[in-house]
Amino acid sequence: MLKGKSPVVESELYDSGGARLSDDRSTLIGEFLQGEGEPSSSWVMLVMGFVSTMVFLILYGILFPSSDLPVISSVLPVFDGVFDSGIWFFILGAMIGVFAILGTLLTEATSE
Amino acid sequence: MGLITSMAVFWIAILVVFVLVNRGIWVFTDVSKSMSMFMLEKALGPPIDFVDGKRGSAATTWIIQGALWLIPASVITFCGLWLSHDPEALHSLSSWGLNPASSSLLTSGFLIAAYGSVGMLLIGSSMHIVPELGGTTLATEKNATLMSFVWTLSVIVMFIAANKPEIVGIKIMPIATLLTNLALIAVIVNMLLTAASRTKKIPLPGWMMIIGMISAPVSVVALAVTGSLDSGTGQWLLTRVHGPTSLFLLMSGAILYGASRGSGNPLWSRSLAAVTMLGAIFTINPLGLIEGEIASEFLGIDAATFEPSRNDIVAGSFLLALSLIPIIALSANVLATMRGDDVFMENPDSPGMPEINLAAFMAVPISIGGLFVLTDHLTGTNELTGIHSSLVMMGMWVVFVPASLGAALSIFPEVSGRNVLSVNRSRWAFWLMAGGAFSGLAFTMMSDFSDMALLEAAIEEENTTSNRIRVLGSVLFYGTVLGSIYHSLNIISGSFRGALAEEGTTPSSTSISSPYKLTKETTVRKILAQREGKLDTVVVPEPSTDGPGSPTEL
Repeated sequence: MLKGKSPVVESELYDSGGARLSDDRSTLIGEFLQGEGEPSSSWVMLVMGFVSTMVFLILYGILFPSSDLPVISSVLPVFDGVFDSGIWFFILGAMIGVFAILGTLLTEATSE
Repeated sequence: MGLITSMAVFWIAILVVFVLVNRGIWVFTDVSKSMSMFMLEKALGPPIDFVDGKRGSAATTWIIQGALWLIPASVITFCGLWLSHDPEALHSLSSWGLNPASSSLLTSGFLIAAYGSVGMLLIGSSMHIVPELGGTTLATEKNATLMSFVWTLSVIVMFIAANKPEIVGIKIMPIATLLTNLALIAVIVNMLLTAASRTKKIPLPGWMMIIGMISAPVSVVALAVTGSLDSGTGQWLLTRVHGPTSLFLLMSGAILYGASRGSGNPLWSRSLAAVTMLGAIFTINPLGLIEGEIASEFLGIDAATFEPSRNDIVAGSFLLALSLIPIIALSANVLATMRGDDVFMENPDSPGMPEINLAAFMAVPISIGGLFVLTDHLTGTNELTGIHSSLVMMGMWVVFVPASLGAALSIFPEVSGRNVLSVNRSRWAFWLMAGGAFSGLAFTMMSDFSDMALLEAAIEEENTTSNRIRVLGSVLFYGTVLGSIYHSLNIISGSFRGALAEEGTTPSSTSISSPYKLTKETTVRKILAQREGKLDTVVVPEPSTDGPGSPTEL
């Protein structure tokens, strides 16, 4: 939405035959404009979460250089051997599909 | 008791059920109706209030869940195919206490496809087709919607049972049987109440679906009455009659209706539809698993050795061979209905039509293959059992799944009020699914033949060529996984924001709309044969004139 009077919102003049009298559009954008759009909170939270995770990992690596990550290091051995066969790439593809369906269900059900 | 005696009891039981459904049960008809309705709704208490009772909600719920079950069914079948050439591929799952093997995955994939996908899609379709053909509404939408979740739970239990038959000493498969039958009986009662409130004569596809549902529990009761369940022949017969016959009847009704509705053409032949229905009941269907062990697992009884008598072999082979008659009749009827007046399929872009076309086309060759394998097993020769697994999967993925999905897709706009999101995506999904299933399983079958040849020649070395073909087969089958995901996404998104059914209908040149636009020559019989074709149908020719054109005056 544009604030105040703007030269962009300008009427165009036509002659009696219907032909446009002025076609000089380059002169229309002549000043700085501000919109009112903002990023959605969900995207802000996602980016903040990603940055916080990276900060935590880097700081942990600097402060405790030889220590394993809490919780994650004990969970990772469960996935030992995963991706040692080609089948896992196909299963990953199917999982992306399943998550796409879950995502679609959630977004479709909650969208206005 | 012999095979033919058991079959005779089954035939009489079906005949009695058919007469009772049509005539009612004397003075008890009204009492049984009101009591059944009470049991289906109020007796269930608070849970019944959790579900929607809107018209079409039951069919939509069953169809969406059926489509979603396609994904685990295809993924598990894909994993089973992969493990057949690389048994250690999923050994890392052992850290989670899982040790999947190819055979158990293929069996569970088959069961999920049969009960989860095909079963749910067909039952969902019947919840729209039977009331529509009877000129009435479903007796209780709420109960039918609720039962879909019980059915889904039973499929989950079935999957667990196929991979881990006993947990803490308790057999799991009978629990799945109990849950399935609980939901099925509720659905059958719902269907019978719906049929009882019909305002017009129900055409044959409707009866096929009703009898198809009823034949499943009736076959178990008939074989239990004859005392055949403890014998190997009885268990083999139950595997044949309970699953394939029931699903074939349901599938026949669904695709005959879907072919007509989707193409806009009237059903080609009523006599062929009658042959399909009677033939399916009076013969033994050659599609599906060949061994009777699965029946014993479902019932939780000990598996008996399969030792058919001479009479059983003759009668069984005869009934198996006769089953080609209803299958060919169905295939011919569906294909002729879809093609209408010319050799091309009407509305080929309409979602569901290519699937029905594929199923009708492939039903005959797959059945002939099944007939050879089954008679080979019945006579004890067992020379062709090596390809049994591939053939069963092919029957499932190129006949039953496309047929049920096609029928469901063709009626989806009517039941949900919206079209699928994208016709283009639907077409892609069809090619991925059909191409993946057919080519993947054809290569797997080639590998089976190769293994059988080496086994016959008593060569003990590892068959590397066979393994390579199996790799190709399993990778190609992945197309089916992608197709399932595409179909599910298309249906789910469509149910939320697909074009409204009233706006998005694209009737073919011969279909009835109101008023009916006559764009090419047709017959009155064809117009009247349409669902809404009545004598007072307005027939308006397209406006045209032979006069010369002139500029539009402003």
